[in-house]
Amino acid sequence: MLEVKELSVEIAGVQVLRELGFSLRAGVCTVLIGRNGAGKTTTLRAIMGLLLRQKGSIYLDGKPVHDLPSHARAELGIGYSPEDRRLIGEFSIEDNILLPALALNMSAGERKRRLEEVYELLPELRKLRQRPGGGVSGGQGKMVALGRALMVADKVLFLDEPFQGLAPALALEYARTLSKLREHRPDIALLVTESSPKLLDEIADETLQIERGVLTAA
Amino acid sequence: MLQTIIPLLVDALANAALIFFVAVGLTLVFSVLRILNVAHGSLYSIGAYVAASVGLWIVAAGLPEWLTFPALLLSAAFVALLFGPLIEKTLVRWTYDKSEAVQVLVTFGLFLILEDLQRMVFGVQSVYQDTPMSLLGISQIGGIVYLNYQLLLIALAIVVLIALKVFIAYSRTGKLLAAVVADREVSQAMGIDTGKMFVIAFTIGVFLAALGGALATPTSGVSPGLGAETMVLAFAVAAVGGLGQVEGAALASIIVAMAKVLAIYFAPALDAVAPYLVMLVVLIVRPYGLFGSGATRRI
Repeated sequence: MLEVKELSVEIAGVQVLRELGFSLRAGVCTVLIGRNGAGKTTTLRAIMGLLLRQKGSIYLDGKPVHDLPSHARAELGIGYSPEDRRLIGEFSIEDNILLPALALNMSAGERKRRLEEVYELLPELRKLRQRPGGGVSGGQGKMVALGRALMVADKVLFLDEPFQGLAPALALEYARTLSKLREHRPDIALLVTESSPKLLDEIADETLQIERGVLTAA
Repeated sequence: MLQTIIPLLVDALANAALIFFVAVGLTLVFSVLRILNVAHGSLYSIGAYVAASVGLWIVAAGLPEWLTFPALLLSAAFVALLFGPLIEKTLVRWTYDKSEAVQVLVTFGLFLILEDLQRMVFGVQSVYQDTPMSLLGISQIGGIVYLNYQLLLIALAIVVLIALKVFIAYSRTGKLLAAVVADREVSQAMGIDTGKMFVIAFTIGVFLAALGGALATPTSGVSPGLGAETMVLAFAVAAVGGLGQVEGAALASIIVAMAKVLAIYFAPALDAVAPYLVMLVVLIVRPYGLFGSGATRRI
């Protein structure tokens, strides 16, 4: 579904990714494991088009997307939940979740259908929906960021260190939600990054390991 | 006592209204594009020239004089639609990934070009066109004489302030703009075409500047150098209010205009410095402006 070939990225003169190549398949949960600074977040940001790549290509369903602007990649069905959540503080939780729908000008019916789906998968968000984006805890924020990404993630979903900083109970709940999501959307290609491998043992179908910008055998 | 205070207040508020249009445009462009557009004042004076020229033409052609009112608005819209996309897509867009120094230099260069362009097109003579003001006449309440046009300016500023707030809070484009202001990268990743948002915000900014200029012509006319004068004043207001703050710009416009008008009434020698003295005091007490904070930018 998503194919990354020889992706190299440099940030401020430092080589962060070196000729990264991997592919994500529909219905498969791939886990990208690496220490802090190994290049996990950079990989996701580069695929989202948020960073300039030096070289390499990215294909979605066989079509090149590496020259498309970021927003067009979202429009093609790639959802992204950043590590630091990045909610819009002044927006309500529901408006945060709806942001992609608003951006991509979805019809009211479509918007409602997708929002209902998100609330079904993440019922606690329904309770929080009136709260401002700046007024939820870190763990709740992760759930909101997941819900927001799901609004567009028809094909691919990127979750950047979703378990980072979650209390054990919340981490368990998040993992449960992911399983539920995979039942609900069996054709989605999932890429989750994590620094400690054991957290994702249960949901990982495939594991990639990244070290100083290079994929190493897992 | 009232005989002095009320005209002074109306004068200050009418002045504040004009400054507000320019400053809120400047602040809007800054918060969305993160660029301080030094040429913003030139768009005010271009709006003024175009409006005055159209007004003079309407009168000379013997068309109904009330047409000079819609002409003010249409002139501003014309300037915005002509210069907004043009400047953003050619010059400003190129500076997004450059340093602030480059951005200021580029927009300063643009300012110089636009100033000369105005001299070439409109000449160096002052232009006066006060039909809208004389048409509205004066009214007398409680023995105090008001210029109705000044009251109209104040009302229009309030309308623009409310319209902007409603636009940002409830319209699709407004919400997307607010998201871009809050987090540009996430906005892109969530599907917002930020390039399009930049053109829209810049064009609205140009419109507000040009509207201020167009509305100013009936009271004060337009002459070369107006752009520079307005730009510095708009910067003072934006700094006092806090960059990126709509309400801040409104309140700061009133404070700065009040300082200016008080100086004109009571210490004419201080007329030019009064706004900056106020700016100085506010920035010493609140370095990010009245409504600003170092960490967050809002519109």
